[in-house]
Amino acid sequence: MADALLMDRMFQRIMRGLADTGSAPHYAELARALGLGVEQGRLLLHDVMRAYPIGWLHPETDYIASFPPLNNLPTQYRITVRGAQRWFAQCGFEATSVTWLFPGETVRVDVPCLDCGDPVSIEMRDGRIVWIDPPGVVGHLNYGFGPSRGRPPFL
Amino acid sequence: MNLFRSEEHARRWPAFQARSEEGFIGLAELAGFFATESRHHMLDADYLSNWYPRRVAERGAYLERIGKTSPFWLGTPDPTRTQ
Repeated sequence: MADALLMDRMFQRIMRGLADTGSAPHYAELARALGLGVEQGRLLLHDVMRAYPIGWLHPETDYIASFPPLNNLPTQYRITVRGAQRWFAQCGFEATSVTWLFPGETVRVDVPCLDCGDPVSIEMRDGRIVWIDPPGVVGHLNYGFGPSRGRPPFL
Repeated sequence: MNLFRSEEHARRWPAFQARSEEGFIGLAELAGFFATESRHHMLDADYLSNWYPRRVAERGAYLERIGKTSPFWLGTPDPTRTQ
């Protein structure tokens, strides 16, 4: 396992890259930014993902698919900040924590209901819910937390 | 882990699991669940080494506070279910 400081630095680069641009950096870009060789960067990325198992690489690749609360692979949970829809949340639960990546900003979550396709919208600011439509929106955990939840890429 | 327009909408979802009847959470409680202290530090330079490891304990404490103490929510082994 790589040293903790280096892993922290890569983690922060990924999280900030996602928050700033909506896309996760590639390991070659991360390597250059951290002063590492490309292969060292790739191996460090795998170490970081093992240390942060609530995210994952796309199966059989070195591409970041999910890095919660955001997702590099589009999901139905569209996130809009400052009028730009550039981000996706990992899931409906993580969508409520995206607000912590954008302090002082209104973060809007738009998602089609999986039953009827009609819109569900939430706006949050610094952790507070400031707007909901429709008012009865609920969160639903279909599989329990822990081992029963199934394979992460199909969360 | 999804958001639905209401509980009835969730129950009509073709993939709805009967056991997940206990899987509903109000939006305010959900936002609180994902607002524990470590979440405020996701952009910090020491998040992975210092803050992320606190997450499990924070989540457990929050779930207990809102009364969601079943294995389904806590991710603990469920003695009522066989593998």
